[in-house]
Amino acid sequence: MSEVQRRKYSQEEKTAIFDGEFMPHIDSMYNFAFRLTFDEDDAKDLVQDTYMKAFRFINSFEKGTNAKAWLFRILKNSFINEYRKKSKQPTKVDYQEVETFYNSDDVDYQSTSDLRAESVKDMLGDEISNALNALAVDFRTVIILADLEGFTYEEMAKILDIPIGTVRSRLHRARNLLKEQLKGYAQSMGYNTNEEEED
Amino acid sequence: MEINDQSGDERKLACSDVTKCFQLLESILDGEMGETGQELMKEKLAKCQPCFEHFHLEQAIRDVLKTKCTKQAVPTELARSIRQMIQESK
Repeated sequence: MSEVQRRKYSQEEKTAIFDGEFMPHIDSMYNFAFRLTFDEDDAKDLVQDTYMKAFRFINSFEKGTNAKAWLFRILKNSFINEYRKKSKQPTKVDYQEVETFYNSDDVDYQSTSDLRAESVKDMLGDEISNALNALAVDFRTVIILADLEGFTYEEMAKILDIPIGTVRSRLHRARNLLKEQLKGYAQSMGYNTNEEEED
Repeated sequence: MEINDQSGDERKLACSDVTKCFQLLESILDGEMGETGQELMKEKLAKCQPCFEHFHLEQAIRDVLKTKCTKQAVPTELARSIRQMIQESK
């Protein structure tokens, strides 16, 4: 990364950037924050903090570049540095643990899942949301960024401070874990996940 | 030579390189491969049943995540309180 260029925006410019480039993302920011914290107040605080930081460091934001990715990066860092530590319930799987446990290029691409596309399509929003929420935060995060927010691998690599290859493999693992969750729902709903047709 | 099953549409029933193919399909679905990806994908899906099934499952998962995940309504006062905090910090 090149060193941050010193530039000074005037008050008017700051306000214009803040209103024109930052505030339009409040919806996505709040939803991301809520999916990380599962708590309305925490999500609100997290978004507020993020916007405060964004304003304070606005001179290091280059006008016209990807504001959404820039904001998401701040939010994710605030979450890791402050909220995650504060949180009463320790995260089920810790970042490092996840990495050591899964960190290998031998990602399992065998199609072990007998989940069917048709059963997935029939699922309800709540089932999908619950399945997503059941994932450990690092896996949940990549799915939110990729599928809900439409970030590219490159943008995700910047937001999460990880190499693109890690983005790809973590996303793959995350979706596999999600499939396992969905398979559970499919089976409990009596959807056909395997061979036999039952009516 | 591999077994040549006559499943209606001449697709191979086993994929010879699942890892490479699935990884490629997933990248294409994630929009990482541009135009060339579309061509490659068409080719794969026409020829290989496991790739075909994997593609459709992966696509379904992305679609439901995109369209069905419940969205949290942003508290109405949030934007206002942010602006106020900024105003006070100036």
